[in-house]
Amino acid sequence: MPFRPPHRHGVTPQGRGRFPGFDVLDSVDAWDDVTAGVVLRRLAHPADLAFFTPHEVSVAAPLLDLLLDQDEEPRVPVLELLDERLAVGETDGWHYDDLPEDGEAWRRTLAWLDDDAAERFDGARFAELDAGRQAALAQDVQTRSSEGQKWHGVSAERVWSLWTRYACTAFYSHPWAWNEIGFPGPAYPRGYLNVGVGARDHWEVADSVDRRPTPFAERVESARREHAALVERHHRAHLRAHHREGGTR
Amino acid sequence: MSRLQSPRSERELRARNDSAWLLPTDGSRTNHRLRDDMRRFDDADEVDLVVVGAGAGGSVLTQRLARAGWRVVCLDAGPFWDPDADWVSDERGSHTLYWTDPRQIGGSDPVPMGSNNSGRGVGGSMVHYAGYTPRFHPSDFSVLSDDGVGADWPIAYTDLRPFYEAIEQELPVAGQDWPWGDPHSYPHSPHPVGGNGEIFQRGALAAGIETRVGPVAIANGRFGHRSHCIYRGFCLQGCKVNAKASPLITHVPDALAHGAEIRPDSMVTRVVVDDESGRATGVTYLRRGREHFQRARAVAVAGYSIETPRLLLLSPTERYAAGLGNDTDQLGRYLMVQGAPQTSGRFEDEIRAYKAPPPEVSSEQFYETDPTKPYRRGWSIQNVSPLPITWAEHVVAQGHWGAPLREYLRDFVHWATIGALCEFLPQPANRVTLADEKDRHGLPIAHFSYSQCDNDRMLTQAATESMEAILKAAGASEVMTIDRYAHLVGGARMAARAEDGVVDADHRVFGIPNLYVVDGSVLPTQGSANPALTIMALAARAADRLAAQARRGLTEQQAVRA
Repeated sequence: MPFRPPHRHGVTPQGRGRFPGFDVLDSVDAWDDVTAGVVLRRLAHPADLAFFTPHEVSVAAPLLDLLLDQDEEPRVPVLELLDERLAVGETDGWHYDDLPEDGEAWRRTLAWLDDDAAERFDGARFAELDAGRQAALAQDVQTRSSEGQKWHGVSAERVWSLWTRYACTAFYSHPWAWNEIGFPGPAYPRGYLNVGVGARDHWEVADSVDRRPTPFAERVESARREHAALVERHHRAHLRAHHREGGTR
Repeated sequence: MSRLQSPRSERELRARNDSAWLLPTDGSRTNHRLRDDMRRFDDADEVDLVVVGAGAGGSVLTQRLARAGWRVVCLDAGPFWDPDADWVSDERGSHTLYWTDPRQIGGSDPVPMGSNNSGRGVGGSMVHYAGYTPRFHPSDFSVLSDDGVGADWPIAYTDLRPFYEAIEQELPVAGQDWPWGDPHSYPHSPHPVGGNGEIFQRGALAAGIETRVGPVAIANGRFGHRSHCIYRGFCLQGCKVNAKASPLITHVPDALAHGAEIRPDSMVTRVVVDDESGRATGVTYLRRGREHFQRARAVAVAGYSIETPRLLLLSPTERYAAGLGNDTDQLGRYLMVQGAPQTSGRFEDEIRAYKAPPPEVSSEQFYETDPTKPYRRGWSIQNVSPLPITWAEHVVAQGHWGAPLREYLRDFVHWATIGALCEFLPQPANRVTLADEKDRHGLPIAHFSYSQCDNDRMLTQAATESMEAILKAAGASEVMTIDRYAHLVGGARMAARAEDGVVDADHRVFGIPNLYVVDGSVLPTQGSANPALTIMALAARAADRLAAQARRGLTEQQAVRA
């Protein structure tokens, strides 16, 4: 197994997780070398940013932190992973005929989010707002997405999908995120021996939280409340401001 | 274990297709010697057939005609994959398996492309398909006559049945005896079922819905020199094990052994047709930055539902000004996708759905038209097992982000997922055209416009309700559904008359006797079945027809008249 210094075992983003002691990197010896190379590279210090401008970073960095609730260290370097991907044009190829290709779509939509900040909060930049106000602006795009509305003239659903797709692809490709959710990652050439409801292989760790008498529904409700507390205070504030100006976009 | 054990049946199979025995036995997955020794034709050689695309259609056609003694070159835009060196057991890292050249999507219900429905390189999208290989039902071939919607095929189920049986042996397909459509058995017995499949079986039983294990193109036990499945759950990222069937291991090795050439990294830019003779003379392609022209006595396009129409549109002549096979304005039309909602249910137990092949259990109970319902045709239900990145998409689709998104993802091991394939109807305006935008070769890219009709929406709704009922009956405390699409077929459909399609029942493009389309784009309807097996069976039948004509000494021109 490759050397790992102390305190780097079982890392999860923000130290959150339900599978204590579980570390997919304990299994590196059971992976093929090509896959190991691809996964371990995600642990390296990211390259310098090459795609986003500094101003775009000031919008993208807090937006990505909010989308994935990464409010403290250790963080999966989502911004850097995303920048690296866009810098080499590694997209899925397709784009909607009313939106440009993904890189340009990112630039355009980050600028719109910054425009929203200025319009709703007295000329402020998105980067200058507190997390609650930033979250309220993001929630507005998500709400429009759910309701099938447009945002700055394009389908909000397409914009929300672009943001979340790139953010989640970067985050859930990282071994720390797999530690958090109990997913063992690469499985070649070892495979699995024990399949079936409730079956575990010896390198898998049981969900610790679920053993406690805290039903899943309650945990989700608590996460919802926490999230709503972040968003709603400011959402109401900016809705008032919005109505005052009588503007629609 | 394999039911295909008798020495006689193995001998018969190997006399038709020896691919599984041409793979290495030393733990590696590629026969490099076979590739190094591959016959190589010169551009100036007039080969008997040049095939464009080495996927489900092109690979089977190439293998069959090489066996019949034809000189065949098969060009593919992507790489000649080596599963050991090129594929990874990782969701994010498998991006190279998809066709990622630019494409535009539009219409009222645009269909995202990329990972879900496109392939690249030798093996095509079967490299990363789940592995489900159901047959179509006999009713699929006469939907217009029976139900007044869709289209009739110019061939019947019985025309295809012997080729279904042959391909099922060659993949081989594992599953329980099949009660739906034309009842049949499979050459390999069903695989053991993981947690995800158990939940589907349990819920369906409680809800009064029949299920069966399979049909899955993963050998159960060793098959030739192919290894047994290790239940690692990464079928959709390319099978590094050589257990799941794709043409790369099921047909290409035998094609090479019989003198065909597979020419990878070759992007075909034009099918060249001589207006004076009205015949195709070969194809222009780009390789290592240089333009080449491969001469050929006949051309078969097998680039799938987007690239096949695009290539024919990119190949106009003075005589065929609207593109090849487009004299009646049919090219690119009637492109179909299946509505593919997926429903997940939450269980107290750990399901760990990633711990088995995603394809496990199916139901075709709702496949046929139910006369008591306001919609025509139906859907099938199958296990699917989204890995974390895809699971995040399911959660985001419920409107969650931030802390709730993370909480749902932390709950990954507790969820089981099933998916439906709804038979969306073929419509003329669902079409590939050329966009103004160009790709890096300077060629106009494809624009794919897609809009659903009322019947499509009703099917999605009914399919979703059936899946939610199954998971609740299995004891799910919460269910969530994501709307999505799966598969592509149509765009150059087969028809009895030129007014209704692009190719005839022998896959010959109307008006150009030595130009063929042999891929999923010829399908007039799609049923609720995953299309891979049907595309392969059609290609095997097309090869059979071509070889028979050639044996009778007919030229293409004479064959058309005959």
